[in-house]
This record gives sequence, C-alpha cells and structure tokens, in this order.
Amino acid sequence: MKHQPFEEWLLNETPLSHAQKRELDLHVRSCAYCSALLQTEKILRSAKMAAPAEGFSARFQARLAERRLADHRRRLRGVFLFLLAGTFFLFWLAAPSLLALFASPQAWIAEMVKWGIFFVTTLQAVMQAGTVLLRVVADFLPPFAWLILISAFAGFSLIWSISLWRFTRVSQGV
Amino acid sequence: MTDEKTWVLQAQQGSDEAFTQLVETYQKPVYNLCYRMLGEPELAEDAAQETFLRAYQGLHRYDTSRPFGTWILSIAAHYCIDTLRRKKFALFSMDAETDDGATFEMPDASALDPETESVRREQRDRLHLFLKKLETTDRAAVILRYWYDFSEVEIANALNLTVSAVKSRLHRARRALAGMWQEEPAPARPERRAYETPAF
Repeated sequence: MKHQPFEEWLLNETPLSHAQKRELDLHVRSCAYCSALLQTEKILRSAKMAAPAEGFSARFQARLAERRLADHRRRLRGVFLFLLAGTFFLFWLAAPSLLALFASPQAWIAEMVKWGIFFVTTLQAVMQAGTVLLRVVADFLPPFAWLILISAFAGFSLIWSISLWRFTRVSQGV
Repeated sequence: MTDEKTWVLQAQQGSDEAFTQLVETYQKPVYNLCYRMLGEPELAEDAAQETFLRAYQGLHRYDTSRPFGTWILSIAAHYCIDTLRRKKFALFSMDAETDDGATFEMPDASALDPETESVRREQRDRLHLFLKKLETTDRAAVILRYWYDFSEVEIANALNLTVSAVKSRLHRARRALAGMWQEEPAPARPERRAYETPAF
C-alpha cells in the first residue's frame, strides 16, 4: 500500500477498523515520517495544562482597580481640558465686550442699549417673518404634508434623543 | 440555568463577585493558552490578565448563546497572536512545564517508572520547542486542538477562520512538527551503568 492513505488517516484522525490499524502499525514501523507524525500526535495529546501562580484572581482584582482608576483619571482630565478650552473660547468671544467694561460707563451703557435694541428689533423681525411664512406655507401645504413633516420631526427628535442617551451612557462595571 | 450562565448574567449587570468566579474558573485554561503561545510565565501572566480585562470590558457584547470558554479563549488567542505579531517575538522556552509556572521540575519520583516519565518529559519539551517555530495562527490552532479538544468548527469560530482553513492549517502544522521531529535528533541521554548511583 502507498504512503498517502496512512498520512491522511493520521492527519484526519480517521477512526480505523482493526485491519486498518494493523496496516497502519506495519506501515509506521517502516516509515520514519509517519512514525514521527504518530509520535508527535501522542505527545501533543499527553501535554499538560500549565497553571498560573497562586493568587491570580487577587492580582486581577488589583489590576482591574488600577485600570478603573486610570480610566477615571483620563475621563477627569478630558472633562477638565474640555472646560478649559470652552472657557478660553468664551473669553476669546467675549473679549471685546469685556474690554468695553473697562471703558467709561457712558460707552458701555451706550453699547448695551445698542445691543438691546438690536436684539429686540431682530426678534420682532424674525417673529413677523415667521408669522408671514407660516401663513403662506399653511395655505400652500396640504394637511397630509403637515402630517409627514410633523412625523419626520418627531422621528428625528427620537433618533437624536436615543443617540444622546447611548453616547452618554456609562457602562456599569462591564 | 448553569452556574456559569448565572455568573455571566450577574457580571453583565455589574457584579464583580460573579466575574471573579469566572476568573477563578477560567484562569488555568486562559493562562495555559497564553503560556503555550508566548512561552514565558511572566508574559503569559500578563496576557492572561489582559484577556480577563478585555473580557470584563467587552462582557456586554458577549453572546450568551456561545460557550463562555470558547469566547474567552478566543480573546486570549487573538491577544497572543497580536502580541507575537507586534513584537515579532517568538521566544518559547518550554523548559518550564510545571503546573505552577516554575522553570525547573524534577522527574516525578512517585510515578511508576521515573525514567520513562523523564523521557516523556524530554519528548514534550522537544516538541514544544518545535511548536515555537510554527506560524502564530497555526500554533494557536494546534494548541486549541490538542490542549482544549476544540473541534475544527470551534477553532474556526475562535480564530475567525473558515473550517477548511483550520483543517489545512492543522495539517500543515502537524506535517511541520513531524518533519522537525525527524530532522532534528533528540539530545543523547548519558547512559548510567547498572551499578552506578543516580548521583553520578
């Protein structure tokens, strides 16, 4: 018999009949390669399990505590940097107004009045424009289009809320 | 429901005690896999600890329909493969074969035949030295097959391979091991004369 079937039997760990086992035994005696194949398989099968040193889970607990502390510190550092950057940005935006505070009271009172008038007139203009737009659009759009628009708006709000909830959720332990 | 499933569910709800039970149960298989892959007790300890940390952090992604053992061994195998690839480090000193990770072991005097036991140990050490020469994924496949009795399907799931790829990797690894076994002769054992004491 040729070498090939024996190698296949050994590699595939094929269940063998008594006759096949005898044939394999005879072949292995004369074939160094198949003998090595058989021997290495036996050794692999008899291999022992290595175990860690005592106190593995206690060391794991300590490592987990360290990792949690490091994560906590990293998160705190992130929040601090975010707040710092935000404060800096706000100061940068508000710098002209803050500088105006140091000018004479007359100047900043005039500035405040100017901004107040601007705010009120802008608000009035936006409200007027909105009212006109709503009146025009209400006449222009059929009721089913309103239904679709409101449903879409509700859908987007829901997706947005879920996204916020998912991103802000802190995993509890795991 | 089995204890293991209960622990997994409790751990998923944030119970550290339940996760510790899982660590206690799987520390030996995970450590053994890391040790066989990396070859050094210190590296194996580090990899096993990292495996459990990753499992802890990813427990919410664990599919409870899969056996936990397969899942955690898969994490360990991937971690070891990545480590070996990253470091191009394949040191595998298998002179340590003891259960406590020590680097020296006396032959078992209580065994029926200490000399036979010693020969077997030498053979195992020799084969394990050859194991380090295998490609990392092939090595992982061999370890999962022979130390954990994983089926080809389980190995495929653990290593993200197809079943046919696992089969061909196992065949290739077995052929390579047999080839090395043939080519590299075993170190000669000093012969002891019948009247000589073992001390000499």
